[in-house]
This record gives sequence, structure tokens and C-alpha cells, in this order.
Amino acid sequence: MQTPSEESVKEIIGHEFPGGEYLIAHWENFLLTECTGSELLPDGLAHPVALFHVPILGASTSIGEMFELGKANSPFSIGIESYEWEIHQPLLEETLYKVFGKIEGVERKSEAGRLFDRIQFRFQLTHGSVEVASSTIIWHYNRGRADES
Amino acid sequence: MKVEAGFEIPSWEMPSVERSRMRTMAAILRDPNPVHWDADLVDSLPFEVGKKTINQGPLGLSYMVNMLHEWAGPGCVKRIFMTFPHIVLSEDRVVAKGLVTEVKGSSIECDIWLERDGVRLLEGNATVGADQIL
Repeated sequence: MQTPSEESVKEIIGHEFPGGEYLIAHWENFLLTECTGSELLPDGLAHPVALFHVPILGASTSIGEMFELGKANSPFSIGIESYEWEIHQPLLEETLYKVFGKIEGVERKSEAGRLFDRIQFRFQLTHGSVEVASSTIIWHYNRGRADES
Repeated sequence: MKVEAGFEIPSWEMPSVERSRMRTMAAILRDPNPVHWDADLVDSLPFEVGKKTINQGPLGLSYMVNMLHEWAGPGCVKRIFMTFPHIVLSEDRVVAKGLVTEVKGSSIECDIWLERDGVRLLEGNATVGADQIL
């Protein structure tokens, strides 16, 4: 697959996802928590690992669409640089959260002979007028060797 | 022992990263990447890890959240930042570890990481609410 131009990838900077709402059902939190190897948390607390998928799905996008927006060559071409979660209030089961998300930045980089686009997504969760949490995702969209571009 | 800079957070172990949990996670996340469930495909890619599946990044991160919860109580995590220098594979035995770097009032700053055989696969830092331990 041909490497997309830097300009064409940068067109997504500022892209806002439709936004929406998300409720973490008890069954979902149960299964999610079991995947982490933890016991279910007390008092209806949702496991913080929900801060990966809840913002994405709640903003009415998907991992697949995020791959497509960055013009990924394939799912295997994506690498994770970092995740950052800020938690102002613990997430709860059976609570409706509003979610907003957008693409904050795109940077084409070349390191160790590898060419990639560094794409930064940011999502915010609110409950009523209160900001509950935010999630910043930085993925690398690998484009092959730097000398192939 | 007093919690201060240099304090070692009690570690948390995942004895074996299970493929079945990756599959459940993929369904919950609506994650279309087959590296999390198709070991034959992973074997055909240039990772050179054999017939293994690759753990989701958030799952590796969750082991460190579990460590912090067991130490400072559920709901203690106020911020977490994580980088992913290496992949975590099915059947890996991994251990979450952490070190306090600063105590600021009722908040604790710490470095956290996930090890396999002494190699740091994931590394980052976190801010923890210390109400239950200070």
C-alpha cells in the first residue's frame, strides 16, 4: 500500500467525533474486570480499564474507524505510544456518561529508519455538568521504512 | 513502613496471560485487530514470537491498576500515564511493580511498570489518592 501524503493525513487534525452517551452495564463491568484478573470492585465501581473503550464507543466512533481515519495500512501497522487517563471521579456502573472526542494532532516522524504518523486523540467524559475523566491516546501509524517514502 | 519517596509498592502478579481473556476483551472493545485472537496470523507476521496472541495494551495497563488498588484501595487512581515499549504475549508471566517518587499532601506520585523476566514491557507513572494509606 502506498504511503499517504503527510498533508492528507493532517487533514484529520481537529476532527470531532459525533459524541454521545455511554452506560457501563453491570455485566460489561463484570466481564471487563474478570479480564484484568481482579475481583469485581465494591460499591458499583467500574474498573478504570473501561477508560480505554468507553470514551471511544461513547463518542460514537470505534477502533476500526480510528484506524481508517489515520489511513492505517492494516491493523498490524498500528503501535501504541502512550495512554493517559485522568480520573476526577471514579467511574461507576449503570451511570450515563456524556462523551466528547476529537483528533488533537498529527505529526509525521522518522526514527531509527522507520516512518510513521503520530496521531493524538483526546476524549472527555462528563456526568451532568461535572467532568469525570479524560483519555488521551497516542498511536503510531507505521508507514514502513523511512527510505521507502 | 512509612510511605515516602523510594517506597516499593507491593507487586501484583499475573501468573499467565490468558488467550480467552484477550478474546473477551476484544469483543467488549469491538477491537477488530486479529493479533489478539489469531495465533496463526501472529505466527505469520514478523514479530517472531511463534503461535502466540498479543495482549491488548489496556489489559497490560490494568495489571498496574490492580496493583495500585490492592495497595491504596479501589478508586485510588487519579491519573495514569503508560508507554508500551514491548508487547505482552499469551502465556506470559508478568509482574506489576511500582516505586513512590513523591508524596504531596494526600496524593502520591509513583513510577509503575510491568515486567517479564526482569524486562520492563510497559512503563509509566501514576497519581494515587492516599486517603486510605497515609
